Amino acid sequence: MNSRNDVERLEKIIGQLQGLHVEISLLAKKSPNDGVNAFKLRLINNVIALANGVLGPNYLPFGDFAAFDADDVPSTSDVALVLAQYIEEAERYRSDNVIYYDYNWFYMVNGKASNIPSGPPSKIGKK
Amino acid sequence: MLIRPRLTDFHGIALAQEDADFAIPFFDEDLPLYVDPFLMWRSPSQQDMALHGALLTAFNHLGQLAVNGKQDEAINALIAASECDEVGLGSSGTRRGKRIGRNKAEEILAIFRRIPRYAAHGLSHIEELQFFVEGISKDRISDFACSFLKSFLIDFTIDQCNRLGIPLEPKTVPNVWDPRSRSFIVARTTLPIDPTDDRPLLLVPKRWLRFVPWISYEDYFEKHCPQDEISHEPENLTRVEVLNYNRDNYGVVAAYIEAKERAFEDAKNDPLFSQIPVRSARVKLTQIKKLPTGKTDGADIKYEAAVGQLLPSLLYPNLDFAQLQARTESGVSVRDLIFYNTQRAPFLQEIFVDYGSRQITFEMKNVAAVERTHVDQLNRYMADELGRFGVFVTRTPLKRPILQRTIDLWSGQRKAIITLTDADLEQMVEVFDSKQRDPLDVLSMKYAQFRRNCP
Repeated sequence: MNSRNDVERLEKIIGQLQGLHVEISLLAKKSPNDGVNAFKLRLINNVIALANGVLGPNYLPFGDFAAFDADDVPSTSDVALVLAQYIEEAERYRSDNVIYYDYNWFYMVNGKASNIPSGPPSKIGKK
Repeated sequence: MLIRPRLTDFHGIALAQEDADFAIPFFDEDLPLYVDPFLMWRSPSQQDMALHGALLTAFNHLGQLAVNGKQDEAINALIAASECDEVGLGSSGTRRGKRIGRNKAEEILAIFRRIPRYAAHGLSHIEELQFFVEGISKDRISDFACSFLKSFLIDFTIDQCNRLGIPLEPKTVPNVWDPRSRSFIVARTTLPIDPTDDRPLLLVPKRWLRFVPWISYEDYFEKHCPQDEISHEPENLTRVEVLNYNRDNYGVVAAYIEAKERAFEDAKNDPLFSQIPVRSARVKLTQIKKLPTGKTDGADIKYEAAVGQLLPSLLYPNLDFAQLQARTESGVSVRDLIFYNTQRAPFLQEIFVDYGSRQITFEMKNVAAVERTHVDQLNRYMADELGRFGVFVTRTPLKRPILQRTIDLWSGQRKAIITLTDADLEQMVEVFDSKQRDPLDVLSMKYAQFRRNCP
């Protein structure tokens, strides 16, 4: 990440992706085959477009997916699945860009520890 | 050839019944609905109330003629008013009805002498006739109303046709009530025609139509009439006995009419098509999913019946259901659902422009796998009028070679065949329930998927 702005954009999309995922998962648990209406789909597509920009080609979950097509009538479970993948990739991107410094985790900006605090990478503790 | 042509579709006008102000007439049969004059009486519109007033004035005038010794004139007018073929309402399969006879007309006019209130003030609703004269019910009431209001209906028809661009032709219309001369006259006007027999058609406002009139004999007999008082054996009570009782006990009828007038808020016109409730849609879907493929235990018939009830409701109001068609091709019985393409949604417009579909056919196949012969059958059926777009409603997705065959059909002849499977029906029912998307979107999704496979 090159600037403070990049960090903020990443944190914003992580929050948005998680928020959407929680909402859509609730719908998907109730009726997985139900369609997502055009209004929700537009908002979800906006967030995905932002995420595509922030994550860049190396961290995109699917190479051939850019947005939902309203004509495809994506179901709630389709949307929940895609959002979950984006969340995973966003977390991988964050994990690769944090550093342990002075007993705390900070974002790395321009290859150095910044003063923006973060959490430990989710990879830690995993085998 | 259109299947079960309607006036609008015949002239190439795409209009959904939901969006029309009038009941779109069929050429070959009557609409099973009736004009209920009570809906005019209870209408907030001054025009409708005035029309109800004019209807009663005309009818009571005939009663007065009879009371004042001009019985013949009244009888002739009543016979003339007793049928209004131009509107095509009722249960006739031919759009032609029979007029009442002289005796029946005399019987009707007799109530003006028999019941003092009618002699003095006339009827306040023409539906009251049902309580005194045998053989007069919803169809006659509707015909009387249409005959006396024919002049208005002509204006309404011309106005609607001009708006929509339905062609009008000069026609002579018999039995148009003229309030000035208080008699039926013959009017020369322009009206849309039924091309099958060149007769004029009249359109009727949807807001006046009900399956059963608000004030009806059956309702009165069931809930209001003192059956014990009329007969000691209520189970053997005949209609004639009730009518005789009514003639001597006008107060009972008057009380019923008053009660119905008080409850006028509940009198609503009936829709021409009502969707099945969400719950029954789910039940039908469960039935479909449980059915085996093939013909074991009549599974195919059950499948067709359930899909036949499900799809018209799911696709309403975007596609108006025309009819379930059964035909035999190469010794195989083929059943399909035909819909009018209303072009209400962009997808439907696209289908019309690209494939010339004025009607859309959904062929139901309760088979384990759709085969070449099935595709060929549907392909042969997709002729000019029906358009080059067809839908298979079947249990499972098409196998690769069959799918390739449909793609080849598109490549070679620009004909599109798409498939709705159980999973698609499930999604349609799901969105029908949740209202998050239109069930038609599932059809358009299947079409988009099909086109992606095409070269």
